Order: sequence, then C-alpha cells, then structure tokens
Amino acid sequence: MKTFEEIAEAMSQAVATGDDTQAAAVAREALAAGVEPQRVFEQIIAPTLTEIGDRFQRLEIFLPEMMMAADAAKAVFAVLQPAIEFGKTSLASQGRIVIGTVAGDVHDIGKNMVASMLEVNGFEVINLGCDVPPDAFLRAAREKQADIIAMSSLLTTSLPYMKDVLEVLRESGEQGRFKVMVGGGPVTAEWAQQVGADGYGKDAAEAVTIARRLLQRQ
Amino acid sequence: MRNAGRLLDILDRMEKGPVTDEKEFDTRYVAANVKRLVKEYEIKFDGVNLINTDDAMADRCFQAGLELAEKAGVLCTSNGRRLVWSRREILDTIKYAPSSIVIGTSHDAHREYRRDPEDPRPPTVIGGPIGQTLPEDLFLPIMQSYIQEPIVDTIITGTLETVYGRDPRTKSPWEILVGWREAELVFEAARRAGRQGIAIGCVENAASDIPELSATSYGGFRPTDWHHMAMISELKTNYELLNKLTHLVRTDSILHSFYNPIYGGWAGGAEGVAVITVAGEILLQMVYMTTTHSQCPTHPFFMSDTAPEILWSISLSCQALTRNTPFMLDVLTSPVGGPCTKTLLYESAAVATAATVSGVARLMGVRSTCGKFKGHSSGLEARFNGEVGHATAGMSRAQANEIVKQIVPKYKDLLGTEPKGKRFDEAYDMWTLRPTAEWLGIYDEVKDELGRLGIPFK
Repeated sequence: MKTFEEIAEAMSQAVATGDDTQAAAVAREALAAGVEPQRVFEQIIAPTLTEIGDRFQRLEIFLPEMMMAADAAKAVFAVLQPAIEFGKTSLASQGRIVIGTVAGDVHDIGKNMVASMLEVNGFEVINLGCDVPPDAFLRAAREKQADIIAMSSLLTTSLPYMKDVLEVLRESGEQGRFKVMVGGGPVTAEWAQQVGADGYGKDAAEAVTIARRLLQRQ
Repeated sequence: MRNAGRLLDILDRMEKGPVTDEKEFDTRYVAANVKRLVKEYEIKFDGVNLINTDDAMADRCFQAGLELAEKAGVLCTSNGRRLVWSRREILDTIKYAPSSIVIGTSHDAHREYRRDPEDPRPPTVIGGPIGQTLPEDLFLPIMQSYIQEPIVDTIITGTLETVYGRDPRTKSPWEILVGWREAELVFEAARRAGRQGIAIGCVENAASDIPELSATSYGGFRPTDWHHMAMISELKTNYELLNKLTHLVRTDSILHSFYNPIYGGWAGGAEGVAVITVAGEILLQMVYMTTTHSQCPTHPFFMSDTAPEILWSISLSCQALTRNTPFMLDVLTSPVGGPCTKTLLYESAAVATAATVSGVARLMGVRSTCGKFKGHSSGLEARFNGEVGHATAGMSRAQANEIVKQIVPKYKDLLGTEPKGKRFDEAYDMWTLRPTAEWLGIYDEVKDELGRLGIPFK
C-alpha cells in the first residue's frame, strides 16, 4: 500500500498535468489506504491548485492547462465526496459563485479565465456562459444558493444589463443576499462603485482576491 | 456584389456543417491542435528578439495556421455547427482575395494595397479610437481631431457612451439610435474637417447586428465606407454576425474583418497566438469574404497588444500571411498609455514598427488606454502612429528588431499600471482643436528620442 507521501506526489502530478482519470484513480487509492478526504483536500489538492493559479498568473501555463487541472481536481472530489460524513458541506468550496458574460455580449474567454482561476482557488463556480440575461443570473443565484454573482462585459452597450441585475436585487430586497462583483474591458473600479457593485476585479487574479474579501466580510 | 454567390455557399455550410459541442471545439479542435502544430512546425519565440527575421519560420507558421484552419473551421455558436473547408477549397479561395481597393470618394478617395515584409511603400494610416468609449459631447471633436490629420488616410469611429443622454443597450431600440447617432456625428466631424469623402470604418456601435442593419442604409453609412465584421475568439461566429454579413453583401459594402486572439487563452502563448492568428485571418476570408483583415492579439491582464511576446506574435503572423497570401492586413495599435504620456508613444512606436516591417497594408488606431478610459484618446497619437509607419517602411526587419528591443524597456514595467494620462478635453485646446503645448512637447520629445534610436522620421 502506498504511503501518504507517495499518494500526495501521484495525485499532485495527476492534477497538475490535467489527467483526470489518473487523479480519480489515485483518489480511490487514497480512500483504500484510509487517508481522510479532508487531509487529501487540505494537504494535496489545495496547494496544487494554488500553485496552478500562481503559474497562470505568471503566464507560465495557459487557460487549457488551468481548466484541465480544475477538471482533474473535480474528478478527485467526485471520488472523495461520497466518503464524507453525511451533512458535511462540499470539500472544496470557499464559496459558491454564479458567473457569466452579460446579455448582448459573446466574449467569454476572459470570463472563462476568471472562472477557472476561482475554481483552482477553491471556489465552486457555476458558469452560465455568455449573453446571459439579468433574470438568468438571478434565477441561477437563487437556485444554487450562490454567495456571489460575478458578471463580465467587454461592451459598453452591455453594461446596462449589469445595472439591471443590481437594480432588481435592490428592488427585491435581496441586495445583502448575494455579493455582486463585476469586470471586463470597459468596467472600472469607479463605475463599479457608482452602480453599487460590491467588488471589481481588473483581471483573473484580482477577481480571486476580491471574491475572498467579499466572503470574509459576511 | 461579387460575393453574392459565395454567400449562399457559406450559409449552406452554416446549416450543414458537423454538429460540435462548444467545449469540445475549444479544447479538442482549437487548443489541442494549436499545441500540436506549434510543436510539429517548430514555431519558437526566443524571448529576446521581438521582430521575426526568419523567413522559413514565417512560412512554417503559415502552414501551421492553414492546417488549423482546415482542422477546426469556424464554429457557429447559434446552431452548434462548424463551417469547414478542405485545404484545396481554402487555397483556391484565398489566392483570389482582394489585394487592392479604393475607399472613400472624390479627392478624399484613397487606394489601399497589400504590402510585403520590408516593403518601401508606406502603409495606409487609419486614425480613430476604435473600441474606446467616448462621452457623447466629446465624440464629434475627438473624431474631428483624427480626421484633420493630413497623414490619416481613412478613419474609424469610437463608441458612444450615451445616445441623446441615454444608455445605449445592446439588442434594443437604443442600439438603432446609437448606430444612426454615430453616422450623423462622424459625418459632421468629416464636414468640419473638410474631408466629407473620407472613408469611415463603421458601424462601431454595432455590438449586435441591429445598428449595422439600420445605419448601413439610405442616409447612413455608404458603400464606400468599410464595415466591421468580427470573429468571436477563438474561431467562432454566430447568426448575428452572419446577419451583418448578409446585409453587407447585399448592399455591396466593403467588408473589413477583425480577429483578436487572447494571449494565454485557448491558443496558449506567443507561438500559439501567431498560429491561431494565421488560421483566424484565413478563416475570415473563408467565412466573411473580407477585403481587409485586422488583428489585435490581446494580453489577458493588460488588455494591450504591446507586450513583448505579443509584438513577436504580430510580426510572425503578419509575415506568414503577407509572404503566402494576397491579403491586405492591418494591426490595431492598442497601448495601455493615454494622451499626455510618453508610454503611449513608446508602445505605439513598437507596434507600428513591428507591423510595418512585417508587411501590413494598414496601421490602425490608436486605441489609447486599450479603450478602457472614456475619452482618453486624441488625433495626435494617430499622427504619431502613422509617422512611425511612414518612417519604418522599407526598413529591414533586423534593424527594426534592434530598435524595438530598445523601445520596449521604456514602457514594459508600466504595462500593469494603467497610465491613462489625460482626457481629450485636457490634452487638446477645445477652441482651436489643437494639442496642448504639454502634449505636443511630449510628442516632440519622444520623436527626437526615437529618431536617435534610428527611426528616420520624415
């Protein structure tokens, strides 16, 4: 039977190279060896994904590698989750985020970079894609009991749809229920503050910092 | 309407292409193929030289891009089908792509032509803050500041922040109004500058198909203007874009397409961006039948195309295409710096030099502050961008490489700092519509400095 150190090395390698099949196989080995799922997450997955995020921030790796690593980590969670005691929450989640590019805008690579960075930094991300109408953000946030709604836009003419989400939240009295963060080409910190968003991230790395900060305040 | 027949073929392919899941397209057709092709065709950025001088690598980059275009095609996200062409169909089509065109009318008409690497003929100079939001009250004077520059051959409009004081909203009646407002304001700017016949790149407020379909009609933008068609990154289109295409073909308008790959995205790093840019420009010809081809590879954190690795990518992809196709290419200069900063000028000089010696037909811009800060743009940077293009036409790529290597350290550390400079009404005298003494002084100082580095300003 493999030692914890051997399991850690194999799993870290599988996640870092985006090998989801191998990552799941090592996760099963970990369970068979009696390793606590929580320990797998805290001592193997979390530091590996943090390193992946750091490498993307330095542009040593790119979106495909980062997404593959996130998928491999999900494969590990899928194996470990049933072994968690009933009633415990998800292993990984630092918070649940609904993210999308707003209505009228089909630019999604920047948003996908943000989504992946959030994932590899331990957030549970529900990616709604692009051209997402305001009511779809709200519906998803309510259904998934999200902590944060994250909206992206590269077009000035789509910014009003971000404001719509914030206005509906105010009108429905849900302003405190979900934190709202915004980003994208024409969005600035000043604009975000002006329309009442809780946070603004100028790039994928800053989005992670802001998301952490928003949830710490709660 | 010479594209009317081809249009039907394209729309047929749109309906009959293989159904492909979008994630599979991104990962398998694009990312995996780019990674493989970069390796197979030995495309390599050495991290030191910023303008490619290796013709063999440029030709390999073209072959890699051609293979990617054939393997991936273009995904139509509206119906989940890929438009695909065989290698023979691609080669038979691109060899007949336009290599020259006259735009504009009367004495403002201008003839554009394709160029080769190190071509001594100057590129066409396109002035305008494409993709930059302009306050409505500044839109006209800002556009006039570009049109009044004698070196500017044609213009491209900015984006209106508001329309009659209201928020323009994508896919709403406001979008129709903003398309028409763009037309009326830019025509008035051209009239005031005395260049009514100048060709206009439009409809820049057409985030969806609606403004293009409304403002390219009687009383609006003209067949002698040139009309923007985007490809969604990476290698995607949709019904709205194909609606625009259909309308523009039926109105016999000049088609101009752009493709902006994202550095660090599905294509990966500098090498992958060069390969996918080649594929994207080839596919723009296949799917949009475009007359002129634009690119602006975008940095994921800075939003600019002035980072060193992107300069190299631009130079390699332009050389790959100009050595192997008749395409008229252009590159958008998109610096992080704004008016009244030296950074803006250094960044513009680097892009304009790399693009010009690599054979672009047109230099476009400048999209100051990467378009992020409203109204932070002025005609002076377009003058400068054009002057660099005129000065470096005919320069060897080796010499240009040495010059650009000296320019980049002057701004590289500022790329993440958003040096937005001053808004137009602080950078220009609003009565005379001339640059302030401060802005003109910075411009003169940087020109003198770059002249000493070897850019032979005329």
